[in-house]
Amino acid sequence: MVKVTETMNLLSTEWEIERLPFPRPDDKTVDRRNGSHRTPPPIESQNYLNTQQAMLDQGVSKVQLTDLRVRFGEREILHGINARFIDQRITALIGPTGCGKTTLLRTLNRLNELVPGFHVEGRVELDGMDIYRDVRDVRDVRRRIGMLFQRPNPFPQSIEENIAIGLRAHHIVPRGEVHDEVERQLTEVGLWEAVKDKLSESPFGLSGGQQQLLCLARTLAVRPEVILLDEPTSSLDPVSTQRVEDLLVALKSRVSIVMVTHNVQQAARISDYIVFLYEGRVVEANTATEIFVNARNKVTEDFLTGRMG
Amino acid sequence: MATHLEKLSTPGRKDIPVEAGEEFGILDRVLRFLGLAGAIIPTAAVLFIAAVLLVSALPSILFNGLGFLYHQSWNFGNFYSSATVTHNGIQAPTGASYGALPIIIGTLLTSIIAFVIGVPIAVGSALILVEKVPPPLRRTLSFFLELLAGIPSVVYGLWGLIVLGPFLAGHIYPILARLGAIIPWLGPPVGSGLGLLTAGLILAVMIIPIVASTTRDLLSQVPVLPREGAVALGLTSWESVRLVSLPWVFSGIVGASILGWGRALGETMAVLIVSGNGANFLPQNIYSPVSTIAATIVALLDSAESDPTGLAVSALAEAGLILMLITLATNILARLMVRRVSSTSLPIGRGV
Repeated sequence: MVKVTETMNLLSTEWEIERLPFPRPDDKTVDRRNGSHRTPPPIESQNYLNTQQAMLDQGVSKVQLTDLRVRFGEREILHGINARFIDQRITALIGPTGCGKTTLLRTLNRLNELVPGFHVEGRVELDGMDIYRDVRDVRDVRRRIGMLFQRPNPFPQSIEENIAIGLRAHHIVPRGEVHDEVERQLTEVGLWEAVKDKLSESPFGLSGGQQQLLCLARTLAVRPEVILLDEPTSSLDPVSTQRVEDLLVALKSRVSIVMVTHNVQQAARISDYIVFLYEGRVVEANTATEIFVNARNKVTEDFLTGRMG
Repeated sequence: MATHLEKLSTPGRKDIPVEAGEEFGILDRVLRFLGLAGAIIPTAAVLFIAAVLLVSALPSILFNGLGFLYHQSWNFGNFYSSATVTHNGIQAPTGASYGALPIIIGTLLTSIIAFVIGVPIAVGSALILVEKVPPPLRRTLSFFLELLAGIPSVVYGLWGLIVLGPFLAGHIYPILARLGAIIPWLGPPVGSGLGLLTAGLILAVMIIPIVASTTRDLLSQVPVLPREGAVALGLTSWESVRLVSLPWVFSGIVGASILGWGRALGETMAVLIVSGNGANFLPQNIYSPVSTIAATIVALLDSAESDPTGLAVSALAEAGLILMLITLATNILARLMVRRVSSTSLPIGRGV
């Protein structure tokens, strides 16, 4: 009987959440739900604003999310995200499974549009331009915001073609220079020596790590300004992981990097900023150091110390 | 049985009881036997058919020699005369001469037309079904596509004879014939509408559902990750289909096309009805009456059986053997093609 009542309470709370507008950090309803495992954690308004301010102060904002809500059909996944991704920095999106990290990431390059029922509200701005409203050619958005996936996904073409395809599609270099550019891109990710004699062969003969580097080279070849990474090293061995991480750090000088990772150590190793998501909301966003040394929210701390997630 | 079970258990761990071991052993044997039989039967059937054809065709091969492949007239000779001729030790009715060139050419040309017209349409419709059509409509359209495969070939033939042939001869071919000034074999006369092009078109309609439904199934199984990779790179949906999906299923499409090609080669009734039955001359233009090996075998088998020397049936068997060889040759060709392409682009070998 007790159990039933509890469930009913939970249900009614959920019902309330659905009805509520986007909860502001100082929204009282958020506090009221504290304590229940299923409800979003409290967000202390002052801390939240401070962290946003901290991120604002330290660099140029490349991508800015305002009140971003995403739903698939009737199910809302992201309940109003406000976040900024700074240029020439690595921002890690962390949070427990199902918190909406990947959905958020795939909303940034409009990849979720391929999923039936996808609906987005709010603003996603790239250099102040709303990529959902102000854009005529979505392909150019996707060129400017590149993506590296969870597992390597080379095209079923030769190794050279994998890179040349993007170069030609976006007219990055004149046709005659495509081959040289392929060499340059492969050299940049440190793959040239390994593949220079088998450029016309299938990429599926390469190791997983090499394939992922090829995909990175393919993404970089079209001169992106932002790179989205969806757990880019989750299928790689430690050595390949190390290589990809080194590359990402080196890439900071010219792109803004947004990375979803389940690996808190990885976030600590290479990210400058951390955005902690929980149940479709930003709980805490700050510099990596600040988050790891001085998490201001209990949920963040629980997650980072492995008590959750 | 006991020794069989002992082999399965690890030495030193014989204390583990194997329950119901008896049933396991028998079932295992039965399954293995069924598997073996299943593996052998198709191969054995092909070899058996080939052997029987070869034996039946032997008298004709000896009598006609290589001339069978390049002579243009097919003549059973006089069945009712008691006089016979003998060549290479084979008896034949007076005046018998067999040349299969027109029907070999007819078979190849009708199938090539069917292939060239049918496969692009089939692949195109599969692409549209998978990529552009919303799911509810896709199911309806797929249903009709598969219905197309279920229409008996004799119905196709009748429709070709009554509707398509006269329509083409009356309205389409005269227009096409004007191109004859540029492309010689498109020129007039257009004839009755029963001939090479009509047969090819009917065959194209017949192979479309086979190729399209197979291609559609293949395309819908292309993994999502590489396709998303293409979209995320800013490629258009057409580019992503052309550069990712199609190469991914290329060998499957070749396989499906070969199925269609095989059907076109061997199709009998529909072709017999709409081809105009021109077994004794080579086609003059694309509208000429033609005949194919399969159609000729059906058309002539009845009268061939009244040949007292048996050579007429043997000649038809030789024609059947040639049809089989053509099919075999195209299959091998397709396999070589697939192997060459797969080695450079398809995910074979190490994955992730």
